[in-house]
Amino acid sequence: MPSRRPATLRQSLTAWLWVAPTLLFLVLFVYGPALANIRYSAYSFSAMSQEMDFVGLANYIRLFADPLFLTGLTNNIAYALISVFFQVAFALTLAAVLEARIFPRFAANSFRTMLFLPSILPVVVVGLIWQLLLAPSLGLVDQALWALGLGEWSRAWLGDPDTAIFAVIMVSQWQWTGYIMALFMVAIRAIPRDLYEAMELEGASGPRIFFNLTVPGARETILIVAIITILGSLKVFDIVWVMTAGGPNHSSEVLGTLMYRAAFRDDTIGYSSTIATVIFFIALTVGMVQIKLQKDH
Amino acid sequence: MNRLFTGTALIAMLAAGPTLAEDKTTVTFLHKYPEPESMQFFEAAVAAYEAKRPDIDIVMEAVADEPYKDKIRVLLASDQVPDIFFSWSGEFGRKFARDGRTYDLTEALAGPEWQGRFSEAALDPLRFEGKQFGIPTNVNAKYMVYNKTIFDEHGLEEPETFEDFIELLETLKSNGVTPIAYGNQAPWAGTHYIGDFFAKHVPDDVRTADYQLLSKPEELYTHPGYIKALEQYQALNEYFNRGANALPHAAARGSFFAGRTAMMYIELVEFYMVPGSGLEEAGWSFFALPTVDGANGNQNLLTGAPEGFLLSAGTDVAKEALDFVNFITSPEMARDYVKTTGMTSAVIGSVTEETASDAVLAGLQRLEQADGMALWLDTDMDTASANVILAAGQALLSGDATPEGVMAEVRKKALEVQTTR
Repeated sequence: MPSRRPATLRQSLTAWLWVAPTLLFLVLFVYGPALANIRYSAYSFSAMSQEMDFVGLANYIRLFADPLFLTGLTNNIAYALISVFFQVAFALTLAAVLEARIFPRFAANSFRTMLFLPSILPVVVVGLIWQLLLAPSLGLVDQALWALGLGEWSRAWLGDPDTAIFAVIMVSQWQWTGYIMALFMVAIRAIPRDLYEAMELEGASGPRIFFNLTVPGARETILIVAIITILGSLKVFDIVWVMTAGGPNHSSEVLGTLMYRAAFRDDTIGYSSTIATVIFFIALTVGMVQIKLQKDH
Repeated sequence: MNRLFTGTALIAMLAAGPTLAEDKTTVTFLHKYPEPESMQFFEAAVAAYEAKRPDIDIVMEAVADEPYKDKIRVLLASDQVPDIFFSWSGEFGRKFARDGRTYDLTEALAGPEWQGRFSEAALDPLRFEGKQFGIPTNVNAKYMVYNKTIFDEHGLEEPETFEDFIELLETLKSNGVTPIAYGNQAPWAGTHYIGDFFAKHVPDDVRTADYQLLSKPEELYTHPGYIKALEQYQALNEYFNRGANALPHAAARGSFFAGRTAMMYIELVEFYMVPGSGLEEAGWSFFALPTVDGANGNQNLLTGAPEGFLLSAGTDVAKEALDFVNFITSPEMARDYVKTTGMTSAVIGSVTEETASDAVLAGLQRLEQADGMALWLDTDMDTASANVILAAGQALLSGDATPEGVMAEVRKKALEVQTTR
C-alpha cells in the first residue's frame, strides 16, 4: 500500500464536494427539522393560529404528568421486548432450522419466500386486513376459534383494552419476522461450513450447535437487528394508528400515536413537538448504546 | 460553450412557455367527497363552470373523511390554504374563523344571487360571532334505521318514547335477535349517540353555552342531565352487537344491510347505499331516537349538521371563488347533485320526488319538522372535551369509565381551555 501523504487542498476540496449534497440534504431535512422541533416544544400553538406563545418547559411538565405518556411509554417498551423476542430469538431459530439442511433446498427456499412475503405488503394494507380478520363474529379468526371448539378464547381482540396493543404487536411480528429471518439466513451462511461439520462429527446436538456456533457466529447481525427492532418499536406509528388509532380508550397508545393526535386532532403542535423531542432523545440514547457496544468489539 | 448556450435557451423557453399560455385565474378547491358518485357530480360541475367562464381554471382535489382532518391542518400550518375548502359546521369550522383563517361571507351572502337558497337551520351552524364563515352544501341527520321484516316478525312498531324503545330492544334480545348494529372502532360513532342524549337531557341554552365554553366557570358542564345521558348510553350496551369497540362502522353497516341485526343508527347521507342490499329486499324505514319522558332537554332536536365550504382568508380570488360556489349551489346544479349522489343538498327545493328516493325525501322532511339540529358532538364541542367523550364512548361500553368520572374529566379539560380563551 502506498504511503499516505497528507491530502492536498484540491483533494480535500473534491472530497467535500462529493459529500456536500448529502450533507445539505441531511441538514435541511433531518437535523434542521430536529432542532426546529426542539425549539417548537417550548411554544404553544395550533396549525390554524398565526402566533406562537412561548411557554418554556410547561409542555414537558404537562407531558411527564400525563398518565397517557406512561401508557404510551409502557406500550412502546412492551413492543420492544416482544419484538426482540420474536425478531431476534425466534427469527434466528427459524433461520438456523432452515439453514440446517434438514429440509431439501427447494423446501427451505419456499418457506423463506412465504415467511418473507408479509414484509413487502404496505403497512396500511396489513393493518386493514388484520382489522377485518380480528373483527368479532365477522372475522375469520373468531370464526376459526369457534369452529375448532376454542370458543372460550374468542374475544374482541382489538376492542378489549387488555388485548388491543398485544394484538397490534403480534400483527407487526407476523409482518417482520420473515424479513429478519432472511437477514439471519445470510449471516448464518457466512459461518464456515467446516465448523458445522466438525461439531456434527463430535456428535453435538442441534441446540448445542445453535448456542455454541450459530449464535456467536451471527453476533454482529444479532446486535444490529436488536437495535433496529428496538428503535423501530420506539418510533412505531402506522400499524397502531390504522388498527386501533390508540384505542379503545387509549389502551393501545404509543408515543407515536400520542404525538400524531396532539398535532392533528388536538391542534397542540407545541405539545406534539415535545413528544417528538422525547422520542428523539430516547432513540439517541439507544443509538449511542449501540455505537458503544459495537466499538467494544 | 455550445452546450451551455443551448441549455440556457431551453430553460428560458420552458420558463416562458407557461406564462405565455396563461391568462387564466386559478381557483383551488379541496373537498372531502372522493366517492365515485360525488366525483361524477363535481367533475361535471367544474367542467360546466369552466365552459361558462373560460378565464377561470378550477383546480380540484378530493380527500376522504379521516385523511381530510390531517390534510387541512397541514395546509393551514404551511399556509397553502386552498381558496375553497370543506368544513364541518360547529366547532370544527368555528376554530378556523376564530383564528382568522376564513373569509367573511356575511356581506356576500346577503346579495341577490344568494337569496332564498338556504334555510336558517343550515346557515346558523356555519356562523361565528354573528358572521357567516361558511356556505352550506349538505345537510345530514342521523336516524335509527330498521329492518321491516324483522320488526314485523316480532310484531314491533316504531317507538314513540324511549321506554317503548327499550321494550322493543328487550323483545328483540329475548328472541335471539341482535337489536342494534354498532361499529365504534373509530370513536366518532359513539359521540353521535352521546350527543343526541346530551341534547335530550340538558336544556339547549345550557348545552350550547357549555360546548362553546361561554358558561360561567362554576357552572361549566355541571348539569346533572349529562350524567343521565351517559347512563342512558351505557344502558344500551347490552343491545349492541358484541365487540362494538373493535368493529369499524362500515363493517357493522355491512352486517346490518345483510340482515344480521334489526337496526342501526346511520346518517341520511348513507341512505343511498341501501338499494341493492339485502335491507332493500327486507324493506326498511327509520325513526329519530325517541323522546325521553321527564328529561330536561329539547326532545325535538335532531342529531345532524350541515356541512359546507369555506373561503380562505388569504384568497386573492374571492369573487371568482364565490361565483363558483354560487354556481354549484344553484337550484339546477343542486337538484343534479341530489340526483347523482343521493345526498341531501342544503339548497331549498333541491330534494324533491324527482331528484331523491322516497326514503331520502322522508328523511329530509323529518329534519324540517325538528326544532333544530344537535350538531355532531365531536365537531361541536371544544377539542379537548370532545376527546374525552370520544374515548368515553368506548370506555363506557367496556366498563373502564363511569358517567360521573367522564363528566368530571370533561369539566376539568373544558376549564383548562376556557382560561386560555
